[in-house]
Amino acid sequence: MAERISFSATINGQKIGPMDLPQDLMMVELLQEYLNLTGTRLSCGQGVCSACTIIIDDPDKGSYTVPACVTGVTWVNGRTVRTIEGIAGRDDQGNPVPSPIQMAFLEHFAFQCSYCTPGFVNGATALIERLQRQPIPSDQVEAAVLEALDRHICRCTGYVRYYEAVRDVILSTPGLTTDGPGTDVTAMQEAGQ
Amino acid sequence: MITALRILGVLVLLGIIASGLLFWTSSRDVQIPPASVDFASLSPSEHDRLVERGEWVAHAADCAACHTDPSGGSDLAGGLPMVTPMGAIYGTNITPSRTYGIGEWDADDLYRAVAMGIAPGGRNLYPAMPYPSYHRITREDSDALYLWLMQQPPVDKPNRRNDLIFPFNLRPAVTFWNALFRPDPEPFVARDPQNAQGEYLVDVLGHCGECHTPRNLAYALTDDHLAGNVIEGAYAPDLRADALVRRGWNRDDLSQFLHRGLSPQGVMTFRMFPVLSHSTSHLSFDDLDAISAYLMPQQPETELLARPPAGALSAEGHALYTGLCAGCHGEDGRGQPHSSVRLDVNTTAMFDNPINLVRVIAEGIPERDLAHGERMQAMPAFGDMLSDTEMAELVTYLRKRWGGQSAEVSAAQVADALKQAH
Repeated sequence: MAERISFSATINGQKIGPMDLPQDLMMVELLQEYLNLTGTRLSCGQGVCSACTIIIDDPDKGSYTVPACVTGVTWVNGRTVRTIEGIAGRDDQGNPVPSPIQMAFLEHFAFQCSYCTPGFVNGATALIERLQRQPIPSDQVEAAVLEALDRHICRCTGYVRYYEAVRDVILSTPGLTTDGPGTDVTAMQEAGQ
Repeated sequence: MITALRILGVLVLLGIIASGLLFWTSSRDVQIPPASVDFASLSPSEHDRLVERGEWVAHAADCAACHTDPSGGSDLAGGLPMVTPMGAIYGTNITPSRTYGIGEWDADDLYRAVAMGIAPGGRNLYPAMPYPSYHRITREDSDALYLWLMQQPPVDKPNRRNDLIFPFNLRPAVTFWNALFRPDPEPFVARDPQNAQGEYLVDVLGHCGECHTPRNLAYALTDDHLAGNVIEGAYAPDLRADALVRRGWNRDDLSQFLHRGLSPQGVMTFRMFPVLSHSTSHLSFDDLDAISAYLMPQQPETELLARPPAGALSAEGHALYTGLCAGCHGEDGRGQPHSSVRLDVNTTAMFDNPINLVRVIAEGIPERDLAHGERMQAMPAFGDMLSDTEMAELVTYLRKRWGGQSAEVSAAQVADALKQAH
């Protein structure tokens, strides 16, 4: 078995590699130690707490999340990835602008120590993107938020504010629910959907 | 033409007579052993002793496996579906509710139901009730179970109708099945007096063969006792001694597996997990060691070691393993205590049939409180991330690397396994 691999990927829109990496390297270590992307948080190291959640953009399936602590570089090799550093948008001057989820977390005072926040942001972002592909009735939103974020562990603020923030974004964003705002195409374009 | 009609007529007549005879043979009143005690004159201490024995019987016979209420609250109020090729059968209410349970039954009624599959009024139970195994229960144990059941809180919950397809929804037709496949009640006499307890627990109360023994076209148990069987979308493995030895089992690990739900060879999964919680975790080590000794008459002397790979390992399979599995199970497959099982000596990759391995990877396993403080974290589901081809690569890799299985698993086999599961 090869001990090392040649690794290439697109991370936050930037081409990375080819890099010569240990074949058993986990993504969190690549991000933190090789690429200086320290926003992805290592916590349990066993794929349980979801603090290290990152997003994989699959051209066929759309976006989905993986825990960076137990996902090896051999799975990510050749794929497109977003980490917390790639979630905010930019304004005309190139200054960072929080994404709707990031803004909602700020407005709802959703986090305290923030260690779990990058994982929550990525998990919620992937949920929003899934609903863009497959909208659901608004009476199913709470259950969908619970199902998507249930695996994210937070040890200080509790979960209610995270849940309320994500629910509000979903219910107020056109196109995410089948019976909420979103039938108006112009409004969707204005919202940048 | 007329001759042909006559022959046909005679054949139909013979068929009717044969069916009638079969029906009569099976439905005639079979002599049952008399009650082991006089229930009316039990001393309080004798009563308590029997109730305690009855609780042991309920655990060992795993009544809750089928009769539990999936909505919670009672292990005996019924409602759990058992999915068969003929449709779903729902476990019944066996609490002493007089309206919906067995509150009106006497001890003879319970013995007939358990050992013969006949409820009061001559109503047939479906053989999902494992009376072909329980038919050797002792009358003493049936009576003790009766006393224990009658002490449980009654739950007034109606039974759910079975969703069986025609003609299996015709309950009286079970009489024909019984005539062909049901053994007569035959209170237990050990075939192997050296380990009567193990035999009684495995073959009678534990009814292990109901899942682990192959079934024939009529869904009756065959003579290949404990030879392994796919049931409810999962493979219940071969429990014969040589197969257990081949997969690296020894008696101590087997007893630990039944006690805590975990051993180096694997973790209780699929329908064995409820068996652990309702049954085996409640048994004493005397009982568990008797089970292990019955299943493995010879204690193997070999050390539990990972076997050498059974063929060249593909780079694709290795990359998938390192990318998705090694983070928890380790590059060397050694796992982590209480969180991820060892794969290097895990038996799931050793089965000829890959269905369990495919399903575990595709569906994941919820986090589990096993028993006696043992627990395992959740295993995520990878079904949405892996194509059938990638799954086939990974499964083939695992089976070759640690399972001693050199055969390639194809994408079509993966698709078939996933289809069987649902």
